[in-house]
Amino acid sequence: MSPGNLATTTAPSGIQFDGVSVAYGENTVLDRLDLTVEPGEVMALLGPSGSGKTTALRAVAGFVRPASGRVLIGGRDVTQLPPNQRGIGMVVQQYALFPHLKVKDNVAFGLKAHRTPKAEIAGRVTEALELVGMAAYATRYPRELSGGQQQRVAIARALAIRPGVLLLDEPLSALDARLRSGMLAELARLHRELPDVSILYVTHDQVEALTLADRIAVMDRARLQDCGTPEELYRRPRTEFTASFVGNANLLPVTVTGPGRVDLAGAALDVPTDTAAPGAAATLCVRPHLVGIGAGPNALTGTVTEVQWRGSTHRVHAEVAGHRLVADLRELRDPPALGDPVTLHFASEDAVLLPAGTAPEATESPKKPQAVASG
Amino acid sequence: MADTTAPSTTAPTSTTTPGRRKAVSLTRTPTWAWALPPVLVLALGFLYPLALVVRQSFTPESLEDGGASLTPYTEVFASTVFREALTTTVWLAVGATVGCLVLGFVLALVIAFVPFPGGKAVARFIDVFLSFPSFLITLALLFIYGSVGMANGAWTGVTGAAEGPFHFLTTPWGVLLAEITYFTPFVMRPLLAAFSQLDTAQLEVASSLGAGPVRIVRQVILPEALPALAAGGSLVLVLCLNEFGIVLFTGAKGVTTLPMLVYSKAILESDYPAACVVAVVNIALSVGLYSLYRVVSRRAGA
Amino acid sequence: MLVHSRTGKWATWSAFALLFVPLFAVPLLVILAASFSTNWSGALPSGPTATRYTAATSGDSLQALTTSLVTALCASVLALVLGGWAALAASSLGRRGKRFLDALFMLPVAVPSVVVGLAVLVAFSRPPVLLNGTRWIVIIAHTVLVTAFAYQSVSAAARRLDPMYEQAAASLGASPARVLWRVRLPLLLPSLTAAAGLCFALSMGELSATMMLYPPDWTPLPVQIFAATDRGSLFTGAALAVVLMGTTLLVLTAVSRIRTRASYR
Repeated sequence: MSPGNLATTTAPSGIQFDGVSVAYGENTVLDRLDLTVEPGEVMALLGPSGSGKTTALRAVAGFVRPASGRVLIGGRDVTQLPPNQRGIGMVVQQYALFPHLKVKDNVAFGLKAHRTPKAEIAGRVTEALELVGMAAYATRYPRELSGGQQQRVAIARALAIRPGVLLLDEPLSALDARLRSGMLAELARLHRELPDVSILYVTHDQVEALTLADRIAVMDRARLQDCGTPEELYRRPRTEFTASFVGNANLLPVTVTGPGRVDLAGAALDVPTDTAAPGAAATLCVRPHLVGIGAGPNALTGTVTEVQWRGSTHRVHAEVAGHRLVADLRELRDPPALGDPVTLHFASEDAVLLPAGTAPEATESPKKPQAVASG
Repeated sequence: MADTTAPSTTAPTSTTTPGRRKAVSLTRTPTWAWALPPVLVLALGFLYPLALVVRQSFTPESLEDGGASLTPYTEVFASTVFREALTTTVWLAVGATVGCLVLGFVLALVIAFVPFPGGKAVARFIDVFLSFPSFLITLALLFIYGSVGMANGAWTGVTGAAEGPFHFLTTPWGVLLAEITYFTPFVMRPLLAAFSQLDTAQLEVASSLGAGPVRIVRQVILPEALPALAAGGSLVLVLCLNEFGIVLFTGAKGVTTLPMLVYSKAILESDYPAACVVAVVNIALSVGLYSLYRVVSRRAGA
Repeated sequence: MLVHSRTGKWATWSAFALLFVPLFAVPLLVILAASFSTNWSGALPSGPTATRYTAATSGDSLQALTTSLVTALCASVLALVLGGWAALAASSLGRRGKRFLDALFMLPVAVPSVVVGLAVLVAFSRPPVLLNGTRWIVIIAHTVLVTAFAYQSVSAAARRLDPMYEQAAASLGASPARVLWRVRLPLLLPSLTAAAGLCFALSMGELSATMMLYPPDWTPLPVQIFAATDRGSLFTGAALAVVLMGTTLLVLTAVSRIRTRASYR
């Protein structure tokens, strides 16, 4: 363990989870997490509530103590360090601005705690507030600010201590939809201006993860399910869970009949089968917006069970070979009616074959060999 | 399990501020040690005296230099004064508690669910009322129902009789009235808090389904209020068992409660062993009930 | 909400007034009225006078007032330090430790005040600590009695305090001591002042334990009120009671002023 001054570092420092498990009594809330956030990378931890993503973040911050495993920040084992000696910046859902301190004193709090020379503090506070566009509000109290403004101050406060690592725990979930997309762009800009800061971003919102992250770690039931760039996870998900959680997906049970061919309840389909051996059961994943109406390759005929008009698109549900297939179609001039026969199709290259059944074990391969470093 | 075989990775971290910080101290004071100083002070100022009271209760004056004996207990338990005091204390406390519960429930019900302008002021008045000492109530009752007070004065003025009809102040009934008056706010406060948690939409739905006020009170409000009633009631019971000021101020020779007996044995008769015996009995009674109150109020989440 | 008809509402309110006014409002008004009169043997007091107040604010009575004020001030400051410290220490303990401290510090509420007085008297009338006959024995008893209330309100407030503030402070590099001084205590300030006010009011009105202990040169106001009524001077007692209530209210108001200024949200 290296003592010394780490909190004011601006040197790039990544985060490493090394077999980190967290349990409350019998209940394991984080199961052997292995994950590396490269210096300067934005890593989104994406998952439903209770998936362990917030626990993972709090293990980095030092608010939960792992039952086993190590947490490293900048290559240094911090597992046994108290939170105040870890040199991290953190922003939580409810901002946690100190209500008894003015904006500038909130931002100065961490600097004073780090014994930054007095002469430096004022300048660093202004710098941090300017970064988030809140310099004009320095003498206000938090209660006098809107939610979005409080959010910016919370970010400024976390960045003022120049942490190598910034932890964001559902930072946008308390904002309304319009503010959220604005803040999303703002966060992206901040990261461009501070390219050396590694960001661990916990969210349950796939749009936030897809927009902001260099890589996404998908979590479910205390385990890491998948990890990759947003594009990889979206285009080539490796598990049913990832497929359905990152974007919508039609998941159809099929049997592999031969190279490049599968069988869906009697209908033969041409899809890439490089991951499955003939005779194996598999799950076919097709994104609804990649399904077309009318004749085409991999055509399937069925009955319309529901039609929803969504403005720019029509969502058509059809019963096909005993399974439901959903298609998001550009607004149709002449949409089908309930009970109509309908033919849907999709291109072979738009289909992905997944291992059948439940989500695979997290231990399978959390660190993907093809994982792309930060972009 | 933690991977301990990997070489320890102590990467250099660059620093930008002068190293004025102390090295990290890993030997921190355990958290329980911080609780020790106040506990010690309390032990010295409260537990130690209490222990001495218990010890004294086993030490009759004849045995002042050590040695324990049950004589004080047998003597005190045999005296009629003590037995009467015990009965009076218990029935007064139970009666006052029941009175406070009924009165407090009705009053809180009106404040919370039949709101009127000034209701907030009444609630605040109740808070203020709680911060006054109990004996003020007896003092006021002396003016109202005392032998030369306003009620009797008005009666003699109107009827020409030699004396008025109100003499209950020096009887247990006077104490009961004063205790109900003083302790009702102790029931109202938790009740008002509980009522403010109750979703008023429930009442609206209930009445839209055809329930009258009585049915709503019985089936919607009362179940919600039960924990608060239980907690408030048991607190009042304990406080009534321990009440001294109200009884002292009535100046009635006929009303002797346990705390009153402790006072008269110790201060007026200087019989400390006897006073300590009564004190031990009173403690056992109150602390037992208070533990019950803690359990109840923890269940109630109060 | 409960009663919808106009007549029903008025009937309920009248019943409320009929119970509330004689039971709670009248007693305090009676004391106030009596304190300004010389005689009350009819329906209404007579012989308006303010001479009681000259007596109630001079000589023995004035001394009793300052005695009460000093006692209450000392007891509430001591209780706040003791109870507040214990409550804050308890809040960082485990469940069992917290329960133990809760039980220990709430015990003085359950023990009759008279018994607390007797216990303190018995304990400090003998070596090693001889305090009988001094003002300190009164102050000790008051402190023991009101500490429970300080503990209770501070620990309730500490439980309500969102841990996210402490965690945010720690993540910014603040040591536990800094978190306590710069974050927890300022955020708890409203509850601390409220606790101080409560302790002060309780100590001002404390009679039971005081009756067991007070030395002749340290008679607090409640004892003085009892002495007056006991020798039949009810009207003097009433004037003293009004002084007691007035002072208590004054201090409580001042404290709640501080409190509203201290609550930032």
